[in-house]
Amino acid sequence: MFVRLVTDSFRRRPRHKLLTGAALALGMAVATAALSVSLDVGDRLAREFRALGANLLVTPQADSLRLEIGGVDYRPVNAGAYLYESNLSKLKTIFWHNNIIGFAPILEVPVHAWTKSSQTLITPIVDAPTNLIGTWASQSVALSDGGTFSTGIEKTNPWWHLEQGRWFIDGSAECVVGKSFARRDGAKLGDILNIEGPHQNIPLRVTGILTTGGAEDDAVVVPLAIAQQLAGKPGQYRQLYVSALTKPEDDFGRRDPSSLSPEDYERWYCTPYISSIALQIQQVLRVADVRVIRRVADGEGRVLTRVRTLLWLVTFAALLAAALAVGASSAASVIERRTEIGLMKALGAGSGMVGFLLAAEQLLLAVVGGGVGYAVGILLARVVGEKIFGAAPQPSLFVLLLIVGLAAVVTLLGSALPLRRASRYEPAPILRGE
Amino acid sequence: MPDRRMFWRIIRRLLGANRGRLFVILLALGAGAAVTAALLNLQVDAKRRLTTEFRSLGANVIIAARNANPGEPSTLSDELLQEIPSTVEGQRVSATAFLYFLGGMSHSSGPKDSTTVVVAGKSPATCTVGARLAAQMGFRLQDELWVENRNRQESCHVTAIDSTGGAEDDQVSIPLDAGQRLANQPGRISLIQLSVPGTPTAINNYISVLQQKLPDADVRPIRQFTEAEAQIYNRISGLLSATVAVVLILTALCVMAAMTNVAMERKNDVGLMKAIGGATRRVLRLFLVESALLGLAGGILGATAGILLSIWLGKAVFGVAARPRLIVYPVSVALTILVAIAGAYPLKRLASIRPASVFRGE
Repeated sequence: MFVRLVTDSFRRRPRHKLLTGAALALGMAVATAALSVSLDVGDRLAREFRALGANLLVTPQADSLRLEIGGVDYRPVNAGAYLYESNLSKLKTIFWHNNIIGFAPILEVPVHAWTKSSQTLITPIVDAPTNLIGTWASQSVALSDGGTFSTGIEKTNPWWHLEQGRWFIDGSAECVVGKSFARRDGAKLGDILNIEGPHQNIPLRVTGILTTGGAEDDAVVVPLAIAQQLAGKPGQYRQLYVSALTKPEDDFGRRDPSSLSPEDYERWYCTPYISSIALQIQQVLRVADVRVIRRVADGEGRVLTRVRTLLWLVTFAALLAAALAVGASSAASVIERRTEIGLMKALGAGSGMVGFLLAAEQLLLAVVGGGVGYAVGILLARVVGEKIFGAAPQPSLFVLLLIVGLAAVVTLLGSALPLRRASRYEPAPILRGE
Repeated sequence: MPDRRMFWRIIRRLLGANRGRLFVILLALGAGAAVTAALLNLQVDAKRRLTTEFRSLGANVIIAARNANPGEPSTLSDELLQEIPSTVEGQRVSATAFLYFLGGMSHSSGPKDSTTVVVAGKSPATCTVGARLAAQMGFRLQDELWVENRNRQESCHVTAIDSTGGAEDDQVSIPLDAGQRLANQPGRISLIQLSVPGTPTAINNYISVLQQKLPDADVRPIRQFTEAEAQIYNRISGLLSATVAVVLILTALCVMAAMTNVAMERKNDVGLMKAIGGATRRVLRLFLVESALLGLAGGILGATAGILLSIWLGKAVFGVAARPRLIVYPVSVALTILVAIAGAYPLKRLASIRPASVFRGE
């Protein structure tokens, strides 16, 4: 009988039920779309911020102070310490190895460099040394688990663009020259660049012209192995840039790890704060000094925290509006059924029975409407996600349950108030039409 | 005109007949209007605020000397500082001037063991030591530090130890005038770092204005930051616009569906009015006017709530209250009225119903 009453109510007034359902579905679609985007967007935004490049700088612990002015290092070549390239694969063995999205070792050597296009054929036109930067363009690092990890300077310094040509192939006798250097020297693609280093001379083929907007525009970029050869430091490098995905530092993350209790230390160590990743890198590279590039890390953390809060508040506002509109719609649908309620009561139904019947109807609507709304919302979140990040958010069961639950709560709350009033109705005046 | 008076009287009765119903409709419309006003207001403000927030990344434009020869540090006149426009679109541009040279640094005056370091004369004046340098030489806060160059000496008390992860970690910075005296380069600077707020387009415009104004200097963006900022800004503002658009459209549809649902309940009223001789058009007009009035009231209430909400949200997110934009108010009220009327419009279909069938309860 109960089921029959409910189905009958749906069959008798299909348009009303459809409209209430539609309002519900749309409201829940708003909630789903906003919620999926906010849940998903944190990680993607963090990835976007890697456009800022490396946020960690590794240098040898015993290294001397840099004496660099205007891109020229005034340190004697033999001063300072170096790190070993062979240890680099250990970076991908730390706890947060998946968060390390790129690294590139750097070895700088002051050299004299010139091409045939220079006015004098054998000596450089300016006597000033050129900064030669040895690094990886795109190197496959063999990992201990048998896989490989492809990384290079383009991952850690995404603002380095090639104006012409292509990157050198790591390990070959090729190079990329800075824009200003090329203009001054007249070097073109395919030219042979003569490099006169402190230990030997090497001819390299120019494969690209680099523009960075910084001091590198005056430099020559070569494969790391070539720079090591020129400096007489085989297998070594001097600086390592690491780009890692991190969680913005909160108050807990900023605390001094040595002052934490063992449990807190565990929690700190297992959170991808920039400082805990720095410590982990320090632990695997041993004699290295790992410094956080504060400008990048702090700026990123701040903006990211703000944007996340903003999105959550937008989501919250959307949820609130959807809940109010849906609640109002279900309240309206109960209010309009005064006559029906009066009739039922006149026929002997108790207030509880009437309330139960209406609640069951609303719940049925909530589940169906919530489900449809979820589907619509996920679709919209996909469109937004794909359009902006080129990747759709994963539909999650959690959101589905939350949405259906929310729909149920909102419809019940919306109908509760008029239902309570309805339970006080005297059937006779209602049936008389008063 | 009695006709008009009657019209308004019916409207009054329609609105006042059922308080519960009135409240529910106003709630739905008001919620829609509130979220519209809040999001529209916040969206404009948040984008602007975001560009300010980017300045926590530090300087994004550099003015350096156009160097003739690499390897030979060249300098600019510090009078350039006065020529830099100090605001862009009402927001302050902060400029820092630097003069770099190599100097000897030590704990006390007199000719003894000093370490050669990169000294940055800096304006606004500071006296800071880079973290690595401080660790190596054992400098702490408040220590007196001496810098000497070519038999001249300057000293100051360390006010901060800088840990930036950049070149500054190996440098010492002292007030610019002291630096100029030490380097024997009065009135000269190596470069100026600018922190320019604003959207990517505004920053580019600012740079080209500056390039024209200072033809002798090399004005260039720090691409690491300008490029990343532009990319991130576009993503975030795109995300915000898309989310807001989706939420607004869906909210409008949701409110419309709720309104239609309520309006359809008016079947009996329409039937009765037609039975006692109301022309379809007049009956329809009656209900549309009622909806418009509800939209107006809901819109005014909701938009006020929404603007207050956005002020609070702005404070919660950016620590600064969002400035209410007057244009948002009429726009959200108008949108609410439109949604309310559109929600009642399906009543038009009721025009074709025959009064008798309504009364029979069909």
